[in-house]
Amino acid sequence: MNPLLEVILQNGLLLDAAGAIGIGLFGLAAVRLARQQQSWGGNMMAVGAISLLIARLYLVISPFMVNDDVLHSIGPVGVSLTIGVPPLLLTFGLASIVWGLWGHERWMRATNR
Amino acid sequence: MSASFVALGSVEAVRPVFLIVMGAFLALIAWRLARTSGLWTSRFLVAGALLLAFGYSVLMPLYHAGVIRYYFPGVNYQGDSSAVIAWHVVKLVVMNSGWLLFGLGVALHANLFPSPYARRSRAIRTVSPHESVA
Repeated sequence: MNPLLEVILQNGLLLDAAGAIGIGLFGLAAVRLARQQQSWGGNMMAVGAISLLIARLYLVISPFMVNDDVLHSIGPVGVSLTIGVPPLLLTFGLASIVWGLWGHERWMRATNR
Repeated sequence: MSASFVALGSVEAVRPVFLIVMGAFLALIAWRLARTSGLWTSRFLVAGALLLAFGYSVLMPLYHAGVIRYYFPGVNYQGDSSAVIAWHVVKLVVMNSGWLLFGLGVALHANLFPSPYARRSRAIRTVSPHESVA
């Protein structure tokens, strides 16, 4: 295998951490926008960033934590939740981030005019 | 009604289509937001948004369509393992650095970090040039 690919694969956790830091910065910025400029898009973006962050953290730690014992103890409803909830969080997180960004952009354009 | 349209409108295809629309819209809004902000802010915003748009509207639908197969460590892919691994690395780099750059851009846009220029100018103002030195 190409040594560069191997290095990136082995340090995938670092890249995931970079993504999580980026989403965290995004959430902080969204909260700041919502508090300082009273932009309703900021609240939307913060909600989206939080749900993306939760889903991403779950996807990162699930290979280390979730094994057959855990799956057996949470029962069929829990298993279907672990399958169904992360894609839902990712989808609606992205949707609310984009919606909030759109609202913030429109709001900025309206106040600057 | 053609068969391709039915496939595009089915429940299975809703999430990839949604991701395509969201990625394109994200890039568009980030570009509009970047037009009104500073130099480095707009660079970070546009770079992150373009990476995210590529990831969300090209890579993710390809994964959903089965063109690219998901990478699991320890699984033998019978011949095309290098393509699977390379696309996995591309996905890791694009999505994570895209979110990092986009988050940095939005943080700069929101003035999340206090600017060092303001602090330096305030420090200079404490000593007036007309003050008596003696």
